[in-house]
Amino acid sequence: MKMNTIIKYLAVPVLLLIMAGCSKDKLEEINVNKNNPLDVPSRLLITDVITKTAFSITGSDFAFYASVYTEHNVGIYNQMYNAEIRSAEPALATTYNNTWGSVYETLYNLKIIIDKTSDEGDEAGNYHTLGIAQVLTAYNLAILTDLMGDVPYTEALQPGVIFQPKLDKQEDLYNEVFRLLDEGIANMGKETTAAGLGTQDFLYGGDIGKWTQFAYGLKARYTARLAFRNGGKWEDVITFANQSFTSVADEAKFVYNGSSTNSPFYTFFIDRDYFGASTSLHNKLTQRNDPRDGVFFIPYPGTGSVEFAPNGAPSQVQGFYGISGVMSSTAPTYLLSYHELEFLKAEAYARLSGVASADAQAALEGALTAAFAKVGMDLDSTYWVDEVLPLFTADPVREIMVQKYISFFESEAVEAYNDIRRLKALGENFITLENPNNATQFPQRFTYGADDVTTNLNIADAYGNGSYVYTEKVWWAGGTR
Amino acid sequence: MRKITIMLVFLLIAGVNFAFAQSRTITGKVTSAQDGMGIPGVTVMVKGTTIGTTTDIDGNYSFAVQPDHRTLIFRFVGMISQEIVIGEQSTINVVMEPDVLQMEEVVVTALGISKERKALGYSVQDVSSEELTRSGSSNLSTALQGKISGVEIKPSSGMPGASSQIIIRGARSFSGNNTPLYVVDGMPISSTADYSTGNSVTGADIANRAVDIDPNDIESINVLKGQAAAALYGIKASNGVIIITTKSGKGNKTGKPAISFSNFTSFDKVSRKPDYQTKYAQGSYGMNVPNTSFSWGPEINSLPDDPTYGGNSQGHPGMYYVPQLEAAGLDPWVTPQVYDNFGDYFDVGFTTTTSLNISQANDKGNIAFGIGNTTQDGIAPSTGMDRWNAKAAGETKLNNNWSMGFSSNYSRTSIDKLPAGNDAALAGVYAAPPNYDLAGIPTNSPTDPYSQIYYRSLTFDNPYWGASHNKFNEVTDRFFGNGFVEYSPYIAENMSIKTRYQLGTDVYTTHYQDIFEFGSRGRTGEMNNYGVTSQTINSLLTATFDWTINSDFNLTALIGNELNHRNRKFYDEYGTGFNFGGWPHIGNTKIQQADESQYQDRTVGFFGNLALDFRSMLFLNVTGRQDYVSTMPRDNNSFFYPSVSLGFVITELESLRDIPVLSFAKVRASYAEVGQAAEYYQNFFASPDYGGGFWGATPIQYPVDGISSYLSNNVQYDPNLKPQNTKSYELGAELKFFSNRLGVDYSYSNQLVTDQIFQVPIAASTGAAALVMNGGEIKTKAHEVVLYATPVVYRGFEWNITVNYSKIDNMVNELAPGVESIFLGGFVTPQVRAGIGSTFPVIYGSSYLRDDNGNIIVVDNPGAWNHGMPETGPPAVIGEVSPDFLLGVSNRFDYKGISLSATLDWKSGGQMYSGTNGLLDLYGVSKLTENRDETFVFEGVKPDGTPNDIVRGGPNDPDAYQDLVTNVLTNIDEYYIYDNSFLKLREVTLSYAIPKKLLNNVDLTVSVFARNLLLWTELPNFDPESSQGNNNMGGSFERFSMPQTSSYGFGINLNF
Repeated sequence: MKMNTIIKYLAVPVLLLIMAGCSKDKLEEINVNKNNPLDVPSRLLITDVITKTAFSITGSDFAFYASVYTEHNVGIYNQMYNAEIRSAEPALATTYNNTWGSVYETLYNLKIIIDKTSDEGDEAGNYHTLGIAQVLTAYNLAILTDLMGDVPYTEALQPGVIFQPKLDKQEDLYNEVFRLLDEGIANMGKETTAAGLGTQDFLYGGDIGKWTQFAYGLKARYTARLAFRNGGKWEDVITFANQSFTSVADEAKFVYNGSSTNSPFYTFFIDRDYFGASTSLHNKLTQRNDPRDGVFFIPYPGTGSVEFAPNGAPSQVQGFYGISGVMSSTAPTYLLSYHELEFLKAEAYARLSGVASADAQAALEGALTAAFAKVGMDLDSTYWVDEVLPLFTADPVREIMVQKYISFFESEAVEAYNDIRRLKALGENFITLENPNNATQFPQRFTYGADDVTTNLNIADAYGNGSYVYTEKVWWAGGTR
Repeated sequence: MRKITIMLVFLLIAGVNFAFAQSRTITGKVTSAQDGMGIPGVTVMVKGTTIGTTTDIDGNYSFAVQPDHRTLIFRFVGMISQEIVIGEQSTINVVMEPDVLQMEEVVVTALGISKERKALGYSVQDVSSEELTRSGSSNLSTALQGKISGVEIKPSSGMPGASSQIIIRGARSFSGNNTPLYVVDGMPISSTADYSTGNSVTGADIANRAVDIDPNDIESINVLKGQAAAALYGIKASNGVIIITTKSGKGNKTGKPAISFSNFTSFDKVSRKPDYQTKYAQGSYGMNVPNTSFSWGPEINSLPDDPTYGGNSQGHPGMYYVPQLEAAGLDPWVTPQVYDNFGDYFDVGFTTTTSLNISQANDKGNIAFGIGNTTQDGIAPSTGMDRWNAKAAGETKLNNNWSMGFSSNYSRTSIDKLPAGNDAALAGVYAAPPNYDLAGIPTNSPTDPYSQIYYRSLTFDNPYWGASHNKFNEVTDRFFGNGFVEYSPYIAENMSIKTRYQLGTDVYTTHYQDIFEFGSRGRTGEMNNYGVTSQTINSLLTATFDWTINSDFNLTALIGNELNHRNRKFYDEYGTGFNFGGWPHIGNTKIQQADESQYQDRTVGFFGNLALDFRSMLFLNVTGRQDYVSTMPRDNNSFFYPSVSLGFVITELESLRDIPVLSFAKVRASYAEVGQAAEYYQNFFASPDYGGGFWGATPIQYPVDGISSYLSNNVQYDPNLKPQNTKSYELGAELKFFSNRLGVDYSYSNQLVTDQIFQVPIAASTGAAALVMNGGEIKTKAHEVVLYATPVVYRGFEWNITVNYSKIDNMVNELAPGVESIFLGGFVTPQVRAGIGSTFPVIYGSSYLRDDNGNIIVVDNPGAWNHGMPETGPPAVIGEVSPDFLLGVSNRFDYKGISLSATLDWKSGGQMYSGTNGLLDLYGVSKLTENRDETFVFEGVKPDGTPNDIVRGGPNDPDAYQDLVTNVLTNIDEYYIYDNSFLKLREVTLSYAIPKKLLNNVDLTVSVFARNLLLWTELPNFDPESSQGNNNMGGSFERFSMPQTSSYGFGINLNF
């Protein structure tokens, strides 16, 4: 056979085959992603937005560090020990970086949901999901600015478009929080033909009434938060609170099933074991003969009695100090608890009318009843009558705030931290902290996340060397940024 | 695929065209000029064809030639080839001269092109089978250590099957692949791990796929270091190529089958053992705390005096109470004692490698069959490797024009491993309190095997419990091979053409199993079954045209096409919470998550090569390749890669030809451009992942009670992505003196990698964590020197030295705007990263607070607990990983069949994060902490700049030293950075080839060897070649990593 013939028979089909094998269409077809969806409906997005908001943002690192600064827990090992002795961690950009990322990831996905469910979106008319997304955006934005002050928002959330978003002022961010809550409430009030979230909503099972109550409760919380700046709109706080939860059944509580979802503080103990029982909190409880002392603290497993860790100067040793008795794999994360709402009411009534306010006393009793129930106890009448009421009569706002602080143990430490800073701005050092390092090193805020400090010059400038956390208060606490 | 099959059948049928014409027979004898004896196995070929034969055992040959056959070529390894014009002769006897200058040594370059070494315009280096296997290493990459210049080989540990990294001339990619392409018998195969160890702070090592290759089956290895050498491989070539030729029987004597059998057996032990303090017991601040991880307790001999646990006051004089013994149901009162917990844990490892190879060659071709096994028991309990290799290869001439052949390899590799980092099995071994009898005290409660007893909290498992209950295993079944047909018709006396089609495949399945049994870490355990099935098809068509234009010019041209298509399927079954212990099966877990992903990618390349030789003096080589890849955006998926090289043999110049000292001199220069593609996808949504951060396990797992969710993937893709490009040039010179007794080969290369593709971390406030885009530039300058000498040849004694020197400077020039650094692995701090203006990679973390002169500032605050101690400064680059240079020296002495060889390996410069060293201090078990009762003055300055004179510690300040170590230094990552220069006696082998006449024509070589037997290093306590990770952070970061080993063994090699 001639070579020419062979080449003819051979080369032509081979070349055809190969040319077909590298056409742009063929190559693009080969690269189709079979493993991930390119788009999903909003109801499948919102589920993890809720979970992340509860577990990662409200419940984990922010709460762990806040529980050290508020002396709910004593950091006795590694990072938490450093936070306790105010070495490195409180001023490092890496400390809160994971949660910083989670907040923006959540806000970005909320933005996708809002875009989808707004008028121009492919789910236009899904007002309830839109309203819920607005409420959650407000909630996350408030947590972020409460802890970090001025943060990127208007230029944020445009990956690949704006690489270095600039900061917005906290005052403007709070205006946005209220705008979002109001719009959210309005949208949740609209009629819609879109299906409800149902089981995709881990918080309320799609109950739009409860979401609306939650939004009002947040308005109450954030109105109180701005007391130093707005001169104290306590009537508004009461008005909003009255449109919110009517019982424990309504509260915004994320429940863990203990298997596929696990409570942050418990998981933190199992995985890290960095906390010891706080002497400071123990002292406040024993001063009041508070029966919760025996529930809040338990001995380290395998040891006989509760060893309390001295705030600010524990030994860095595991397996020695007592631990929290309220953590469990199913201990819920509170986005806004019923007792917080009652405390807000009690504070507002007391600030308006002092001891004379029967409403204040009733709200405080309601708050305490709920707070005791949270740790599986009934409010002991002896305790209420003999210990709380005399202190309430002597200085109503102080006792309300101290009781609120105790009741926040330990998963609501971020709100306790916000309260302490708000009270300080008002000149009310009601909650005595015992960490001696606070003399010079009380963390006034959390640092920005390292992911922005290293890539966004606006944040790098604002962060400086990190020492600002000890000197600069956030705007609502009397600072400038 | 079906079309290809049809085509192949067609090819085969078309090939059977025997030609009949008048022919006559030529006979002759080939003898050696050295001893006049006949040489068996000499190839006798008709020039320009594949027609030919080989000589028999006496050197005789005979075959039929056609009238158009004009010239015969005689070739034999180690001899100078000869061309004889046939004319009218019927008997042609040839005397062959030995090729002392190795001028005609043939090396295999890209795409199987054989070239004379002297014709190359770029640097390649080869390693022979003998060099590879003489010390019995079962691992290909460690067997190569110290034997090639310009190449850095970083093993991760001495565990069986441990991953290792081979990087040629520095890194080209920050976070992507930097390892060379492996080509076995012409077929590119996978060599990297399918799973990265990621940040490398948790989990077990993942072996890379080079582990499947049995070094004993390798005939030779050729390393194409530069891009010019590799450019014909296109987009896959940027990291260099390792060309492996397996034993195929080619070059065997014809007739009789050759059987070779070898066995290497070695015993392995930990190469270096840390120094421990033996004075202080478990506890903190001098207090006995029986469940702490610290050994900052009282003096061990004072334990009986302890107020709580001492026996002196409780009726057990001289003894103390150990609660763990009580928990085990044993007598809790013991006499204080010091235990060698480290030594107790590690056993003597055992490795045996056996291989059998049978091959035969005849005048039509050759065939080989081989089988090999490596069985390895690691030094740590429940670690090991079992590998089986089988191969078959053959090649045969079908007729004068057609030939075909195949190469096929099967392997099965099973590796049992241990986890490291935050999952470290060895944490409790390395840091066990010296007074705790880790090996002796039971690991679990007498009533419940899953309730652990341990000296510390169960953030880590008791290592003995872990060894008997947890399991980390990987099993790979793999087949790779190819078949080819070749057509080389006769066209003219001075021209030849050869067309070759090769179809190959590389198919494997790896199944991984990570089991934390019920009771692990005091919880209910978890397990992960995952794995990959990968199938690659490689189709390669080449046509080569060789033309001797006239006596001055020779031209070789090649054109070809390659299609490489890979399908991969990954699966993952993750279960948490066993119902009960003892049945670690996914069906016994309470929550299961399953995932599967499928990928395919294709590369199609068209290439050409033109080589022009002028008077065996000037060699010009030009290549070009156009690649089309599927993993890039539609409009950016094809690229062209050119290369050009020139070799100039100066000694061919008339004026230089007869300098007696200088036997050979060549200069060379080359330039090439090659690239790397990304793995590009359209932006997508993904199931949320809650791992990382503070979390050990995954606290949230979807689906939650049957409900799923998705979020926008936090890594997004730039639709304008283009391929990254490497431009490189290389200059070199090769000089040989004194009839080849001394030689030097020097190369300088310069690579500039632009448009580096990686996941550029972007500000979290943008809503995404990273964007896959072009954004970075890295530059490498490499100097490589190979020096070889034969200083002594005297009465059968011969001494050979080879020195390989590499100096590689790898600098990060720029990163995308706003990006200062790229995270490669590690923790939040310390981490391994790439940073602008730094060598690649660096270690980043918290530093000491220093003044402007670089002095460490100590606190001057009398009364404060940290008075006189340093403080944590800002995070900074605290360590540079890349060495200043690498030097490997091999010596070999031969005398009458006795051969002694030794390889020394010197790495100068470079640093690593040695987490274990720092943690041994933190836990108070290192020898360094034994003097804790003495006073100290920390070297540094006070804030006012005066030298620190603050004395701390001593009997009146007993807490100060522990404060310094556990509260200050432990937080300063810089404290954990150590120089890790080392000098290793990598291998020593003594072998004796027993004279044939004693053994009835059987070649028997017996040897004894040792590997990694002497080590001098700046790193305290550990072997510097023990680290975390199978990716670009490898070799720089260590935290409770697996130890390295030293091995001692013996081997036999039998050929008959």
